[in-house]
Amino acid sequence: MIYKKVVFITAILMSLWCTNKSMAQSKVTGNVTENGIMPLPGVSVIIKGTTTGVSTDFDGNYTFSEGINDNTILVFSYIGFKTQEILVNGQSVIDVQLQEDASLLDEVVLVGYGSQLKKDITGSVATIDSEAFESRPNTQVGSLLQGQTAGVQVISGSGKPSGGFSVRIRGTNSINASSEPLYVVDGVPTTDTRAINPSDIDTITVLKDASSAAIYGAQGANGVVLITTKRGTTAKPKVSLDVYTGVSQVWNTLPVLNGEQYRDLMTEMGLTTDWDSYTERTDWQDEIFQNGFSQNYQASVSGKTEGTSYFVSAGHLSQEGAVRSSEIARSNFKINFDQDINDWLKIGTRIAYTSYKDVDVNDNNSVNQGGVLLGALTTPSIIGVYNANGMFTSNPFQNWENPLASTDGLDREYNNERFLGNIYLEAKFLENFKYRFNYGIDNSNGIFDSFLDPFRTGFGVAIGGQGINNTDKKSYYIVENTLSFNKRFNKHTVEALVGSVAQKFSYENSSIQTRNFASASVTTPNGGSEIFDASAFKSERANASFLSRVNYSFDDKYLLTANFRADGSSVFGPNKRWGYFPSFSVGWRVSNENFMKDDNFINDLKIRAGWGIVGNDNINAYSYLGRVGSGANYPFGGAAQPGTFPASIENLELKWEESEQTNIGFDLTMFDNRINITADAYLKKTNDLLLNAPLPTATGFDNAIRNIGEIQNKGIEFALNTVNIQSDNLSWKTGFNISFNRNEVISLVGQELLQGGITGGRGEASLVREGEPLGSLYGYIFGGVDPTTGDAYYVDRDGNSTFTPSADDRTIIGDANPDFIYGITSNLNYKGFGLFVFLQGSQGNDMLNVTRIDTEGMIDPKNQSTAVLNRWRQPGDITNIPRASFGNSDNSRVSTRFIEDASYLRFKTITLSYNLPQTIIDKLGITALKIYGTGENMFTITDYSGFDPEVNAFGGSNTVQGIDFGTYPQTRNVIFGINATF
Amino acid sequence: MKIFKIAIIGLLLSATMGCEDYLDLQPISEETSSNAYDTASQIEAALVGAYESFQSSEYYVWDNVLLQDVRSDNCYAGGDNPEIFQYDYIDIAPTHSRLFTHWSNLYNAISKANLVIERVDGINDPLLTEERRNQIKGEAIFLRSYHYFTLVKLWGGVPLITNTITSTEAASVNIPRASIEAVYAQITTDLELAATLLPDVYGSDASVNKARATAGAAHALAAKAYAQQPSPDYVAVLEHIEAVESSSANYTLIPYDQLFSGNNYNNAESIIEVQYLGGNEGNYGPQLLLPPSVSGDSWRKFVTPSVDLIDAFDAEGDTVRKNASILFESVQWVDEFWENTQGATIPFSYKWKNASGFASADNTYLIRYGDIVLLKAEALNESNQLQAAIIEVNKIRTRVQLPDLTNTQSSSKEVLRQSILKERRLELFQEGQRWDDLARNNALVATMNALVEVDLRTGNTVNYNMTEAKKLVPIPQQELDRNPALVQNPL
Repeated sequence: MIYKKVVFITAILMSLWCTNKSMAQSKVTGNVTENGIMPLPGVSVIIKGTTTGVSTDFDGNYTFSEGINDNTILVFSYIGFKTQEILVNGQSVIDVQLQEDASLLDEVVLVGYGSQLKKDITGSVATIDSEAFESRPNTQVGSLLQGQTAGVQVISGSGKPSGGFSVRIRGTNSINASSEPLYVVDGVPTTDTRAINPSDIDTITVLKDASSAAIYGAQGANGVVLITTKRGTTAKPKVSLDVYTGVSQVWNTLPVLNGEQYRDLMTEMGLTTDWDSYTERTDWQDEIFQNGFSQNYQASVSGKTEGTSYFVSAGHLSQEGAVRSSEIARSNFKINFDQDINDWLKIGTRIAYTSYKDVDVNDNNSVNQGGVLLGALTTPSIIGVYNANGMFTSNPFQNWENPLASTDGLDREYNNERFLGNIYLEAKFLENFKYRFNYGIDNSNGIFDSFLDPFRTGFGVAIGGQGINNTDKKSYYIVENTLSFNKRFNKHTVEALVGSVAQKFSYENSSIQTRNFASASVTTPNGGSEIFDASAFKSERANASFLSRVNYSFDDKYLLTANFRADGSSVFGPNKRWGYFPSFSVGWRVSNENFMKDDNFINDLKIRAGWGIVGNDNINAYSYLGRVGSGANYPFGGAAQPGTFPASIENLELKWEESEQTNIGFDLTMFDNRINITADAYLKKTNDLLLNAPLPTATGFDNAIRNIGEIQNKGIEFALNTVNIQSDNLSWKTGFNISFNRNEVISLVGQELLQGGITGGRGEASLVREGEPLGSLYGYIFGGVDPTTGDAYYVDRDGNSTFTPSADDRTIIGDANPDFIYGITSNLNYKGFGLFVFLQGSQGNDMLNVTRIDTEGMIDPKNQSTAVLNRWRQPGDITNIPRASFGNSDNSRVSTRFIEDASYLRFKTITLSYNLPQTIIDKLGITALKIYGTGENMFTITDYSGFDPEVNAFGGSNTVQGIDFGTYPQTRNVIFGINATF
Repeated sequence: MKIFKIAIIGLLLSATMGCEDYLDLQPISEETSSNAYDTASQIEAALVGAYESFQSSEYYVWDNVLLQDVRSDNCYAGGDNPEIFQYDYIDIAPTHSRLFTHWSNLYNAISKANLVIERVDGINDPLLTEERRNQIKGEAIFLRSYHYFTLVKLWGGVPLITNTITSTEAASVNIPRASIEAVYAQITTDLELAATLLPDVYGSDASVNKARATAGAAHALAAKAYAQQPSPDYVAVLEHIEAVESSSANYTLIPYDQLFSGNNYNNAESIIEVQYLGGNEGNYGPQLLLPPSVSGDSWRKFVTPSVDLIDAFDAEGDTVRKNASILFESVQWVDEFWENTQGATIPFSYKWKNASGFASADNTYLIRYGDIVLLKAEALNESNQLQAAIIEVNKIRTRVQLPDLTNTQSSSKEVLRQSILKERRLELFQEGQRWDDLARNNALVATMNALVEVDLRTGNTVNYNMTEAKKLVPIPQQELDRNPALVQNPL
């Protein structure tokens, strides 16, 4: 077993470094100032070529007591200042004056299993500093990534507070395997970021290309997001308080028929009722949309004393959604602790505990299935909320209950507790070697409770009420051993890393559902007399990996990085279990060449190129096996007998999906570091796609997972950061990034995948086809409305008009992929005032507005949008809205009629802040005090006619994109907050 | 350095080998194809899984009623589902999602039966007697035949698959349609084999004898298949019915209202029926059909009996079967065929009696003896034995207090054929037989095009526009997209 190996390696390494600690020199202390006057707190002081380092305290003092010898070079870096390197050479006191510098070149950037100076990086790596999001609503990490860096597309499936988000780094690479990036929180990989408290985050690093992500091997195929939480940096304990309160609301409502118009339409469809008994006039959008209040309290203490660094935080966030009943709440505690035991040994831990709760809202469903958004649009205004008998009202012609039956009629709540943490040990030995052991866990327990009372809803009455209690438990651990080496001789710098990683993920759930409740006062399943469902299930998966990396640079001009990683995964059979993934990248710092050195307008120019292969195994556990499921039970003799069924076809040849990625780019800094340009071009080809390829169902199976096909993503990314004005009182910085990605399915071995079924038997609206991108929308070509009959006609495959096109007349009618996405930031500071504006946009993406199909179809007694006022009513009417046709969807097929341009540009964030001047805060006895107001999604420029263009009914699906079906919209949020530091 | 590197490489290599154990994980809550079929109890479980398709295939829950009774002249769609309206108006698109579901479910049921047939001989477990081994094989063969019979009636010739699929290569999975005749030949051959493998009864427990396939069930299904195939073989029909009659299971007609009282399932008339217990072994079909007074909810129900059907009951003065089959009730919704105003009184399909919140314990008859008696009458009539046929029809009429067939009702082979068809309509309403009966008697086009049903919203008669081609439903477009070897039916 792997543990034995770990212990063995550890023992060998221990014996190695114990003999060599005498090499270390005694400590170095000093003071860091800005131009010799102002002390600089928080300056990073590291030993060159390592991650070992300290930060200056509040008075700019630092003490370095580990791993120092005469040849040690200390690197002093601080954002906005020029980095200095100083050879220790026997000095015990080194005072440093840093010069201001707009360049971020010498920033230390975290990369996988280590850190590098930005100037030395040869892959495509982007960083987002906590400054970029500290005044924004503190809900989810995903929203912080959006628009901040080129090549990262954040797809919000919906605007609900509990809604996840989906991130694509350089396009969608796979069809069935996950395309989400890997998140690594303080060294512990995870895929669920909902529990991570954004205000604990120090920096986010995005590894975009193969050469930077390859060190994460299998899990890095979709890119890697490294999240580092804060740690203590100052000798004086720093106490920080952040409080905000705010409100969120929808920014758009849709016009629907009023009671009289609804009656006209129903009458036209031949439906009559006792109209006089319907006297209510309810605005259902008004009923379900609300001002959702939010509040956030975060407090932290951090500090650094000799050998010890700590960060402790606690916080609570609660947020109501803009749709009635939706809410989230999150409480969190965090402890980060690092201790130098002596000059060669260091330990530390990162511990986070989160308690999370949400109440979800039923969206992406029509009123028939209790969908709240569509319920609000398609429930006629002529009914009230409750009937006289206390039940929710329903449509006069069909028992579709009003949307409050979903929001209020069903109690539901999800609670999750999560413990995410790691401990590490770092030991230096033999002068150039460092060994690091890391053990991390991510354990969570979730409980979903739901109760449908037996009185107020039709379903509740029919089944006598329903209580559900589902629990899920996830356990994960990672054990890492890495050994690194670095040496600098003459003009050569070499860093090398080898390591092993073992990971195991265990999952279990249990569920119970009872029915037949006597009352609504006991809501847990014990109150029901009939056990309707009770089950429990477990599964697990494991990965083992060996990694290695070499970084070499010559004369600070020529840079080389090479990775090699071997990955084993339990989801593949014994013959195909291991995948081998190499990568290489090179960099050339042109500006350090003699012929460039005299050129004074270019400060730095680096050209980068990289190539690599990474793997993907993000498919279900046990995928290669022919699984046989239980639960196909059937009664004989009056009792259910246990039955089994074949669940999948065995495929021993199943193997790693491989993604081959090539990247070229450059980083350019000009004009006294005031202009910074990064551009990259990439080509990614994913081969041997892990595809749940559909089978003819006559085989008895719907699909089988196979390695089929190839997908390509290619693109260009461009980022420009400028310092426009930099003076004593006034500064103005802007950033701009734009990404172009082109996705194409190169091969599917002749297969086509139709997905995304649309309501009312209108067929599937999403097609995966060779030569087309993922996210292609599929349907008929709408021709118009025949003035004689009022029926919609379509254009068939031969170009002829027809009222009754056949399935073969469907074609690709839209593309949900944007031509480009972009983000613009502007940061203006005048004295204490700050104005931060962040715009984010997406251009050229199509949306299939299925909400319109449901609200303009006129096939049933649903209320409809005011668009149907233009419907055809009598021969001769010229219109583009066909006649009402009860029970027949031929006039509202999935067609070009419902495809819309969903391009948008939105003011994602506008923050106005004020830092109280030193004279006032000194009197108050505090270090800093900022008050701010932030508005999110304040303005949106779009032609899209739905609630919001930034939605997808199919969430983060790889293939089904660009479909709006009563999806919870993005909301407009305003918060006001105070941030104080003591 | 060199030594160190070699040491590291050596460590990595040895660790790699140790990792194989770490990575070799077997499912915890599932079996695999290599350990799921070793013992007698495991092959029994696989067989149970094959039977379970009667519950999990929506076709056998209630779409058989939609495709047989709603698609024909017995019922309107009711409810709110555009795809069920397509059934009602015989305007079924190839993209119809329910058809694809049925195709998939039925073939999934066949694959489970094929698996049992393939695996049962390899079971090496002393607990599995040779007698039981044969029964298991017979049961699985019966199930496979039952599903192929369903498929061939809906779609005509379909891919004929009699083994499990183990390769996903195109050649193994893209299987073309067999001819209708070939499918029927497989069904009848299989059933004749199954009849020799199966017992008449498994013991004294009716809830086993009516749940499992028996020799009687195999003979009854064979009789139905021989009658339904393109060139009926009435000699074979009568032979197999004789075998049903002589079965030691003693199938007999019981009072009609007891068949559908909701608490007398697994009775002497039943040959095989789908079993439900309620709760998580419950039948959700009844809730979809039964009126608010029974179901407890108030949304518009499906499968509304037609004016034409009620007229047929009334014309015959058939109160026993009408009352057992149909319930009139005043409702809050409007019905475009019965009364286009709120508070109208409309009929409901009422052969199931208990809704129980989508979890009814009401069973569904797959084959009952009354059906076989009328089939015998049909076969005798077609064999020009009119008097013998009349005797069989009168058995059915007598038990519902109807007079014997008059001379006018049996004056000729053709007249008697129509009388038997009408008898079957009233006897077997809501039992998923009507479309097949009309098809077998070659009466679909004439009946549906002569049907007068007035849509009260417009005052117009519905034009069902029935054609020869529409006797079969389209091959699901979704399946055509997956299997290039398939050819669509004429539309």
